[in-house]
Amino acid sequence: MALQAVSGVDRASRLGQVQVGTDDSSLLVLPALAGLLPGGVLRRGSVLTVQGSGALLLALLAASSAQGSWCAEVGSPLLGSAAAAEAGVALDRFVRVPEPGERWPEVVASLLDGFDVVVVHPPQRRTARDDQAVRRLSARTRERGAVLVATAPWVGAGLGLTVTAQRWHGLGRGHGHLVAREVVVTAVGRGSAVRPRRTRVWLPAADGRIVAAGTASVPPATGDPDLAASVEWPPQHVPRSGVTRVAG
Amino acid sequence: MIGRATPGELPPRTLAVWCPDWPVVAAVLSTETATGTFAADPQSRPVAVVFANRVVACSAAARVEGVRRGQRRREAQSRVPDLEIHPHDPARDARAFEPVVAAVEAVVPGVEVLRPGLAVVAARGATRYFGSETRVGRVVAGAVRDAGHESRLGVADGSFTAVQAAYSSVSRHALLAEAGVRAPAPGEPGVIVPAGAAADFLATLPVQVLEDDELADLLVRLGVTTLGAFAALPADDVLARFGPDGLRRHALARGLGERPSVGHAAPPELIVTTVLDPPVERVDAATFAAKPLAEQLAAKLASRALACTRLRIEARTEHGEELARLWRHDDGFTTVAIAERVRWQLDGWLSGTVGQGPRPTAGITLLRLVPVEIVDAGRQLGLWGDAGAAQERVERAVDRVLGLLGPDAVTTAVLCGGRDVAERVRLAPWGEPRAVDPADTLPWPGRLPAPSPATVHGAPVPAELTGVDGVPVGVTGRFVATAAPARLAVDGARPVEVVGWAGPWAADTRWWDAAGRHRRARFQVVTADDRAWLLAIEDGRWWVESAYD
Repeated sequence: MALQAVSGVDRASRLGQVQVGTDDSSLLVLPALAGLLPGGVLRRGSVLTVQGSGALLLALLAASSAQGSWCAEVGSPLLGSAAAAEAGVALDRFVRVPEPGERWPEVVASLLDGFDVVVVHPPQRRTARDDQAVRRLSARTRERGAVLVATAPWVGAGLGLTVTAQRWHGLGRGHGHLVAREVVVTAVGRGSAVRPRRTRVWLPAADGRIVAAGTASVPPATGDPDLAASVEWPPQHVPRSGVTRVAG
Repeated sequence: MIGRATPGELPPRTLAVWCPDWPVVAAVLSTETATGTFAADPQSRPVAVVFANRVVACSAAARVEGVRRGQRRREAQSRVPDLEIHPHDPARDARAFEPVVAAVEAVVPGVEVLRPGLAVVAARGATRYFGSETRVGRVVAGAVRDAGHESRLGVADGSFTAVQAAYSSVSRHALLAEAGVRAPAPGEPGVIVPAGAAADFLATLPVQVLEDDELADLLVRLGVTTLGAFAALPADDVLARFGPDGLRRHALARGLGERPSVGHAAPPELIVTTVLDPPVERVDAATFAAKPLAEQLAAKLASRALACTRLRIEARTEHGEELARLWRHDDGFTTVAIAERVRWQLDGWLSGTVGQGPRPTAGITLLRLVPVEIVDAGRQLGLWGDAGAAQERVERAVDRVLGLLGPDAVTTAVLCGGRDVAERVRLAPWGEPRAVDPADTLPWPGRLPAPSPATVHGAPVPAELTGVDGVPVGVTGRFVATAAPARLAVDGARPVEVVGWAGPWAADTRWWDAAGRHRRARFQVVTADDRAWLLAIEDGRWWVESAYD
């Protein structure tokens, strides 16, 4: 008890806990994803990869974008803008450069100077020049205090996020529509993130939010997502008639 | 240095030197110097300087054709097809202005630079020396002409009025006569507003000249369109409604000059110095050394909640030459602004290639930043200063990318109305308005419900959706599936079992237009590997529109 009374001194057990930081050295993330990142925040100067899921990428950007950060995306394919808006990304602060061509490293370098988060879709076939560029861009990210997120393997990335299991709810056989998805997101990296961390998230939940999922296990891939048979699913069914739900 | 007004006294007589459309002049001059050809006066050709797809400055010839500052680049080009376009470069503008400042400084010391193209200097001492303000004007205009440029001058109580007088010297002679101000005679370079007549002179000017867009917007909507009307409002009401910044501008509108400063001189602990060893002769090395210095000063000011409105940048060379230049910004310099001005100033001193500047004969050994005048920062500067600085950085980054890839390369998405996932999104090029028409929030029957797919394929990805018997699934004329989908093969990959599906969502668009008619049906499909797809069929062909990944 005496230790707690002294300001600035805290129990060792508290050190690993998640803090959603708001200072200049980091960017916010949604609480559902905070457990995957060291310190619970996107540290400025860090390089991450998010492979195989556009929705996860948007979820990663959502909190800081909504708070005022500027994000930029370089290269195709285009992230769905409607999905971005539903996740909470501010479209007027989300700048897209869909066709950078061969000069993508220079474009990314210029954007790192002014933007808080830069998403890059590296081209499928990479040359030796591209590999050099990858190293330089990682260095520049650290220098400028931005955050670089790549959607393909990237040498020097500190953390890699992927969706390792997912299950859609809402679609039957000939009826219903996609409503919600439970996913397992896995984070593997270097340093303190060498041990994979996993968390279960609704991406999105039935009401459009991205929140942590409950403790029921994700069923195996061949599970029947038929509406009537689904037991663990939260009862937030939206009728089929094509009613648009605007999230947030 | 120009003093500040004490309450009850008129602001000191100030001379403003304005070189119109300076970014254009500097751009043309630097291109001509680079190519070695010297053509006619830049004002006679249509030239514009563009930053992030917007016009920042244009020549007189372009203005005659309808080009205006703030216009989108494309609009300007549509008015003048052979418009010469130069990219915006404040360092180049400052570099080119340095010889002009030096020329004025040689005849009237104590010049303060407001921005490249505009400088002010105290007129009282020079008037005593030269005899009359008219004479001072002629001498200064002559000095600037010798440096190779044209200028417009204004003399009035305080810098704000003097600058407005300089601006007005190019037009509105009749209005000047009304205000009791002698219009410039032909050959005279400037406008002189008599002492005490500032309020009358300013009365007819529109509120936009206060250079505070938000305030001007508010005032116009309240029905206050001229400075005279603004000045007529009671000061207490202005303070209550618009805050201290509004009160400052109110004082300007009344002809009372700029605010009094916190202290006469900055306390010595705010002066930051750095010794450069070995001496620096190259601009980039000097900038590299100057950046931490600028940040140091900014941090010191921020920690005391102060802002600097006048900054003297001093340098000493190896041979003992002392160089100094005073920069002024009545709203207070942000961190970025301080670093920029130091960079521009060093560029101007060290290059000395454009025109005849006082080129130092040796490298710079000492760099000092002296905040000559400081004011209370107040919360405003901190709150909006940072957001403004972030916006500036974004604009510069976008501008560089536009320079690399062309004007339409950088876009932002706007959600507009529609049923298609693709139709709903319009990519607006940077700088173009993000208009929303038709609105996305109106009901669109037939639109797929949320959640929207995260990956929208631009080019259609072919797919095959087959029933249990292997026959491709079709859709009847009444939009009913001909069979239950059983297997999906995307882009020639191995077929995967379909475990859930729904549809069709019918999209029979433009049925009245034989050419533009689309009868398309969409299905949501989940396959055994847990992936979800948005498929579409038209004319018997299936493809993947988007993936819910």
